[in-house]
Amino acid sequence: MAASEQSLVQPFDFASDVLHTKQRGLWTQAWQRLLHNRLAVISGAILLIIITVSLLADFVPAVQLHDPATTDFSVIEQNPSWNHPLGTDRLGRDLYARMTQATLFSLKIGIGTQAVILLIGISVGMSAALAGRLSDTVLMWITDLAFAFPDLLAIILLRQVLFGRDWAIIGSGDPQIPGVPSVLLVTVLAISFVGWTTVSRLVRGQMLSIKEQDYILAARATGASPWRIVRAHMLPNTLSAVIVAATFGIPLAIFAEATLGFIGLGVPPPNASLGSLINSGLDSIQTHNIQLIWPTVMVALLMLCFTFLGDGLRDALDPRTRR
Amino acid sequence: MLAYAIRRVLAIIPLIFAIATITFFLMHSVEGGPFDEDKPIPPATRANLERRYGLDDSLPVQYVTYIKNLASLDFGISIANNRDISDIIKERMRVSVQLGIAAFLFATTFGLTLGIVSSLNQNGFGDYFGVFVATAGAAMPSIVLAPLLTIVFAVELGWFKVLSTNYGFTDWFGGDFSNWKQVILPTIGLGFLPMAFIARITRASMLEVLRQDYIRTARAKGLEEFGVVIRHAAKNALIPVLTVLGPIFAGLITGSLVIERLFAIPGLGGEFVRSVIIRDYGLIMGVTVFFAVIIAFMNLVVDLLYGIADPRIRY
Repeated sequence: MAASEQSLVQPFDFASDVLHTKQRGLWTQAWQRLLHNRLAVISGAILLIIITVSLLADFVPAVQLHDPATTDFSVIEQNPSWNHPLGTDRLGRDLYARMTQATLFSLKIGIGTQAVILLIGISVGMSAALAGRLSDTVLMWITDLAFAFPDLLAIILLRQVLFGRDWAIIGSGDPQIPGVPSVLLVTVLAISFVGWTTVSRLVRGQMLSIKEQDYILAARATGASPWRIVRAHMLPNTLSAVIVAATFGIPLAIFAEATLGFIGLGVPPPNASLGSLINSGLDSIQTHNIQLIWPTVMVALLMLCFTFLGDGLRDALDPRTRR
Repeated sequence: MLAYAIRRVLAIIPLIFAIATITFFLMHSVEGGPFDEDKPIPPATRANLERRYGLDDSLPVQYVTYIKNLASLDFGISIANNRDISDIIKERMRVSVQLGIAAFLFATTFGLTLGIVSSLNQNGFGDYFGVFVATAGAAMPSIVLAPLLTIVFAVELGWFKVLSTNYGFTDWFGGDFSNWKQVILPTIGLGFLPMAFIARITRASMLEVLRQDYIRTARAKGLEEFGVVIRHAAKNALIPVLTVLGPIFAGLITGSLVIERLFAIPGLGGEFVRSVIIRDYGLIMGVTVFFAVIIAFMNLVVDLLYGIADPRIRY
């Protein structure tokens, strides 16, 4: 018995020895392919810089130069200078400080939204694909229903519902008011509750097709538990498509937040979001339009970088483009 | 085909019903109501107002009444200005649809042209230009593009009126084209992102089709290039494009919120924002249900067109 086991194990050991010398895992290979994509690398670098600067500005006052909310009426609507790198607005607030604050908020919205969407989308998609016919029908019906809602209307409505009591006043829900949830959390949840359908459909479709693959049959034949099959085989193979979808989802969420801020449903006044900066920049469009240029260009830059990064990730994670 | 169409139309009804139900309970799940003011109004007045708008019944009763009315296409009256909600929607929609159609025509005309031209000289100058526009467009939603266009063409160059309370959106459906110039910026601002999207898919689809054997056959039998491109390649390549046109059209009509506010165009999107803020229950419901119907209907139209355009598809 021992001898036969030995002979069974032998070839596998041999194979793994050979593989170990030049084995590159799925993620290592994807990472290397990503590094070869010039656009994706540049976009990633730009995003890294934007994230670092806006994060630092939140913690280290020196990076920010000025407080984003402090008004100074001696320097109203100034053009960029050494003291105010991006100029000042009509209340004399430093635009650089306001921009870093707004950008950080948008990034939090974009990334936070996708985190929640991944959570909802993966669990719903997985349950639909694996938990039997009935749950599949019900969950997919719910997904179709959520998909049929007019996006922006649903986000606006949900946002107000989540705020609870104080929603009649525009921009209420100041984090300082006890009992009222923070704008960030509410906006993230409202956008996620509307936007999870793409991921859940993707996960369901991927899982259904993977379930029929031969290697799953092989895993089952060797006696792997269902949980192990899901964790070790099905999830990793679904993940690449999901990561790509999430990267493409970030700019959509940033855009949704900018729209909310623009129509006056953004963060409450002392704080800034890119949408609310665009909104207030409109008032000075004739006199000092640089105020309007910064936030619009930042929205475009963020969306462009995440789109390129998504393109790069899609190519890198697709095994068929393997060189 | 007919049976399929009827089945699809019937499937919309439970969908709309579910959306109306969810919206109704979401809307009412928040405390407070439309008559909450800084200065409390006298209880008797309040009771009268609530009776007038049917808000004195219990929620389930209100719900049943609402669904009954909805079934007979009656959206009720607006709390804000006492008008029929169907009238408000009709009036505002007239504006939104005009803007939507203009943007849709812009997006499809330029998107298709750009996509076909760049596919025809792949990796040439035209292609780089097309790909550049298509990529840049992905980062140019209305909220980015419209302010930038306004700064360049209205403020700096002075070609257009700068945004004002009366931007002068004229009623084309009534035959008034006098103010056509003022429509250009909102149209491009709204239509650029879908244009880029259409260009991208058209290019990909054309490249795929141009590699097919039947294109080589068409060329081999001596057809002139224009005929090959238009009659043989484009006709087949446009089928996948067709599927996205429906959602794009619905999105343009229902998603012009930002453009409407930017250019002070009195469309339905702005009306919805206002109705949410002052909690005009009937109008919130009306607009949501109406937009949901448009989206569902456009998806249906696309599916049916798909069957007509691609004879291989059988229902």
